[in-house]
Amino acid sequence: MTRVLGWLAALALLAGLGMAFAVAPREATQGTVQRIMYVHVPSVWVAYCAFVVVFVASIAYLATRAEAADRLAHASAEVGVLFTGLTIATGSIWGKPTWGTWWTWDARLTSVAVLFVMYVGYLLLRGMIDEGERAARYAAVLGVVAALNIPLVHFSVLWWRTLHQPPSLMKPGPSSMPPVIVRALLVNFAAFALLYLYFVAKRVRLLRLEAEAGA
Amino acid sequence: MADNWGFVLAAYALAAIVLAGYWRHLVRRERELNAPVAGQPPGAPGAPPRQR
Repeated sequence: MTRVLGWLAALALLAGLGMAFAVAPREATQGTVQRIMYVHVPSVWVAYCAFVVVFVASIAYLATRAEAADRLAHASAEVGVLFTGLTIATGSIWGKPTWGTWWTWDARLTSVAVLFVMYVGYLLLRGMIDEGERAARYAAVLGVVAALNIPLVHFSVLWWRTLHQPPSLMKPGPSSMPPVIVRALLVNFAAFALLYLYFVAKRVRLLRLEAEAGA
Repeated sequence: MADNWGFVLAAYALAAIVLAGYWRHLVRRERELNAPVAGQPPGAPGAPPRQR
């Protein structure tokens, strides 16, 4: 099953590349550099989803003490950190030619950086506590609290006057983007979502193997 | 605005390296956990479990 997911993700990533470079047109204002959007935006959407999974799995763990829920939260946080890091790095590369700077303390950039640091902290917390049950319990509490930052990140561009553009798709009302660009974006999101599922499935299995090996 | 292909390629190359690197890390760790410990048959107490 995991292997099938992996192949599906690989094929979807190839389709996403095709959509980003062969199907989606060159954007009139920014030029070719706008194609970074097809990796930057799906990365942050997948990161949001990953942290929502951490939130739900953490609540499930606190309610039931099921180790499977804890393993899912742990795996999803790790993969979410990976995609958040990718979001920050690709955003920085996109920012240099369009804004003239690699980084600025804009509301969106700062809130994403805080999100990244919070989940790196989540992973460090897990690593610092040797006792498995206590590590899982503390991490679950942090997994619930850290999720409060997700709406802050998303709405930061609407609540504060920022350099980062407001959302073009995940907002009330119709999209301001041409349908072909929306399609390319959604194909890339599907590819990244499949990759997320593949990584999480593999990481959950590894966590189970590690627990069995350590028992 | 200039096309800035260098920035586009840098972003995609970085994404490819990061994602492939993480995938490789997972595969390597899985191989380590599935490798039998020297002198112990797989499945013996203390030996890592075999892949299911």
